[in-house]
Amino acid sequence: MPEPILQVDGLVKHYPLTQGVLLKKQIGAVKAVDGVDFTLGRGETLGIVGESGCGKSTVAKMLVHLERPTAGSIRYKGEDVTELSGRALKAVRRNIQMVFQDPYTSLNPRMTVGDIIGEPYEIHPEVAPKGDRRRRVQELLDVVGLNPEYINRYPHQFSGGQRQRIGIARGLALRPEVIVADEPVSALDVSVQAQVINLLAGLQQEFDLSYVFIAHDLSIVRHISDRVGVMYLGRIVEIGTDEQIYDHPTHPYTQALLSAVPVPDPEAREHRERIILTGDVPSPTNIPSGCRFRTRCFKAQPRCAEEVPLLAVPEAFRGAPGPAAHPSACHFAEEKQVVPPETDPRGDRFLPPADGPGRPA
Amino acid sequence: MLLEVRDLHVEFRTRDGIAKAVNGVSYAVDAGETLAVLGESGSGKSVTAQAVMGILDMPPGRITGGEILFKGRDLLKLKEDQRRSVRGAEMAMIFQDALSSLNPVLSVGDQLGEMFVVHRGMSRKDARAKAVELMDRVRIPAARERVRQYPHQFSGGMRQRIMIAMALALEPALIIADEPTTALDVTVQAQVMDLLAELQREYRMGLILITHDLGVVADVADRIAVMYAGRIVESAPVHDIYKAPAHPYTRGLLDSIPRLDQKGQELYAIKGLPPNLLHIPPGCPFHPRCPMAQDVCRTDVPPLYEVSATRGSACHFWRECLHA
Amino acid sequence: MPEQPYEPEGAIAGTGMGGAMDLGASEAVTLEKTPGGPDGTGPAEKPRSLWSDAWRDLRRNPVFILSALVILFLVFISLWPGAITSGSPLTCDLAKAQQGSGPGAPFGYNGQGCNVYTRTVYGARTSVTVGVLATLGVAVLGSVLGGLAGFFGRSWDSLLSRTTDIFFAIPVVLGGLVLLSVVTSNTVWPVIGFMVLLGWPQISRIARGSVITAKQNDYVQAARALGASNSRLLLRHIAPNAVAPVIVVATIALGTYIALEATLSYLGVGLKPPSVSWGIDISAASPYIRNAPHALLWPSGALAITVLAFIMLGDAVRDALDPKLR
Repeated sequence: MPEPILQVDGLVKHYPLTQGVLLKKQIGAVKAVDGVDFTLGRGETLGIVGESGCGKSTVAKMLVHLERPTAGSIRYKGEDVTELSGRALKAVRRNIQMVFQDPYTSLNPRMTVGDIIGEPYEIHPEVAPKGDRRRRVQELLDVVGLNPEYINRYPHQFSGGQRQRIGIARGLALRPEVIVADEPVSALDVSVQAQVINLLAGLQQEFDLSYVFIAHDLSIVRHISDRVGVMYLGRIVEIGTDEQIYDHPTHPYTQALLSAVPVPDPEAREHRERIILTGDVPSPTNIPSGCRFRTRCFKAQPRCAEEVPLLAVPEAFRGAPGPAAHPSACHFAEEKQVVPPETDPRGDRFLPPADGPGRPA
Repeated sequence: MLLEVRDLHVEFRTRDGIAKAVNGVSYAVDAGETLAVLGESGSGKSVTAQAVMGILDMPPGRITGGEILFKGRDLLKLKEDQRRSVRGAEMAMIFQDALSSLNPVLSVGDQLGEMFVVHRGMSRKDARAKAVELMDRVRIPAARERVRQYPHQFSGGMRQRIMIAMALALEPALIIADEPTTALDVTVQAQVMDLLAELQREYRMGLILITHDLGVVADVADRIAVMYAGRIVESAPVHDIYKAPAHPYTRGLLDSIPRLDQKGQELYAIKGLPPNLLHIPPGCPFHPRCPMAQDVCRTDVPPLYEVSATRGSACHFWRECLHA
Repeated sequence: MPEQPYEPEGAIAGTGMGGAMDLGASEAVTLEKTPGGPDGTGPAEKPRSLWSDAWRDLRRNPVFILSALVILFLVFISLWPGAITSGSPLTCDLAKAQQGSGPGAPFGYNGQGCNVYTRTVYGARTSVTVGVLATLGVAVLGSVLGGLAGFFGRSWDSLLSRTTDIFFAIPVVLGGLVLLSVVTSNTVWPVIGFMVLLGWPQISRIARGSVITAKQNDYVQAARALGASNSRLLLRHIAPNAVAPVIVVATIALGTYIALEATLSYLGVGLKPPSVSWGIDISAASPYIRNAPHALLWPSGALAITVLAFIMLGDAVRDALDPKLR
């Protein structure tokens, strides 16, 4: 495992629910994130997957200090940064940057592209001297595959994919070490998604970045991640390398999630076993006792209602080193292969162009 | 044939000129068949469906040519009131966003029952009973109690089931589903797609599934029509297209999606961006992005070549693509 | 939605495409260039800010042109009334009372024998001064208070909301009768002060809502994640994106302040003679409506046209700034 750059321990975010107009009384809490732990290694990509409302975006916001955690710690290179403010916080922010989901709302429509990408330098003037900023912005535009001459244009003059590149350039401006990407391609067209994913992968190599990559699309997460955490209702239920999670899942939720992903191969239709979950995700204001997945779980037993399963290597696999021996928060963890191993109907894919997609030809 | 669209052309008048949204689309669906119309935003897939349903906003939209034959009748020649009686009763549509498609101030029972009151002249009481029956059909638990609830009291998946129930109410011969599961989570998406496929088989309806998701298509479709820049670029039975695409765009799309079963290297990415509908490139509209483009592609619009009795490809070099 | 043709350059996403979701949301309809170089399918494109787009829309809108001409004319005569009239509004000759139009007095004379034309021209100065200054005061006070409340939220917001509720409960004309009747100064300032005092809550509500909407945009979050200070967030990111509704409402309000000044002067609590104001003239002429309707008609007509011009201008500005059209 590479040297850890981010360590997250017991991260919790509860939003109070209040009643009353003048005298506000707390009547409950939305438990958006309810105890999340993970470590991000230098140069590594950690994927976080989960369905809407599982708290993955709230985790992202806490990592970049857009939300303050209710409890828990985020350590950047060993230093707890959750309680920082002022100058110290600003310094940490330089190193942890975010790429947003929606390329239409994440760029200020009243600013030119040059101003948007150059803003990090205005906020952190020590990074680049004034005279050097324009050149740096143009360099960044080139790095993300946009024409540097577009510097004076406005966001609405670009398409979604191009806007996402602008957002990525802004995230790179301060040369951060960690980039938190919250659903960076889900708003884009299929043919443009691949360009942006390749760009992100290329930049990781070029600038030695560590990514926290948050998405609901399991295929994309596998493609880009070294390790993957699966979130359900505010907690990580299973975490491991991409091989461990996708080929040897032991948590029933991961298994159901994987089996529900439509596979682009009509041959797989007949002989694919699918686990169709019943019911809906419970409300984060009223989390089930014991295991939070038990209300939809096909394996649930009385024990699941009483005892909270911990995120650890399940007992059954502790002795034997193997891909199934990875942390999984289930009392009845058991390996089950749900992704058919050979589903590619053809082996003759187009080869990526030699100059690398995502760069201007 | 249940529905046959022939050489349909649709334009939109915009501030900046005429946007050619649909440029000669032809497709057909038979009873009991699922046709998937696959395309990215701006490909014209939804506009075509709206023209078929007769819910295209005109103006700014304008149908400038073509025929839409439904059970042998050209829908474009019908009067608006005749058209209205077809809509809902004989063909129905399911939208992506169930919440905004349902009326927030009426209970779901009232909205479902409305169909029977208006089209079948039923009494309120009978209509309510029908509504409960339909909610049972789409497997909404405790239908009898929930029939009185309002749309916001249902989850996204349940709302989409209500939309399906509403579409099914009058047992139409054709259902058009426009990105029915895009807004839903994967686990719920699977539930809803399964339900839709099952009901379609049971009622032997024709289903047009409009989507951008190659995975969903592989799971349920019989035939696929791939659209690009308002044209059908490839049309084929589902197994053929995944085995060996006959158009470079289809091929590019299939190759550009990451796979669940392997950690990929670099993804193939179709270069460039979808075309501007105000300035569709001459010749083959895909040529600026095509890795196989030749001089002929820049000048001559490729017709839909017959690849086999059941397949067509609008590529001058479909043979090379097929055997690449 | 404006239907007139438009220069074929630039983004059109969403425009005039009501139900066509496939197109409306389309990237394809916005200008498309292969990253890194022009692909020759679209015309060359210049940088275009949303403000310049709005200005271009405005210039093409006949309603804007008409109302802007009226307003420019009003501003001109209130700055240089002597340019189109030679007399003084205070020179009156009782012998000419209620006479119809004559040489040098195209609108005739009022009950006091004053030249109606001259008085109507000079009345514009009062109206424009009161309207512009009251609007400026209201806009500044309202948007600062509303903007800060919207941005910081919590108790500031609650406090502001309750305060505006109280102000909304005060009937404007009654409040004016009570407050202004104790004022002895016969200048425009008490009237302006009164309008600012009662008018700011309207703008502050608009500004507050607009700031809250703008605050939720991802670009504000993005700037925050970069470490931007609150003042940068407010001035650089939120204010430029929240100001449009304030401009629209303030423009329309300008017209109503002019009408309010006339109302208060009519009721005798605004400006009083010898000040010159359309409200005073309307008040003075109304007893003689049968004998000398012209003395009532001209100042009333000027007032109506002025108010209408500002309301139309506000409408045109709203159409141009409406982000839904872009």
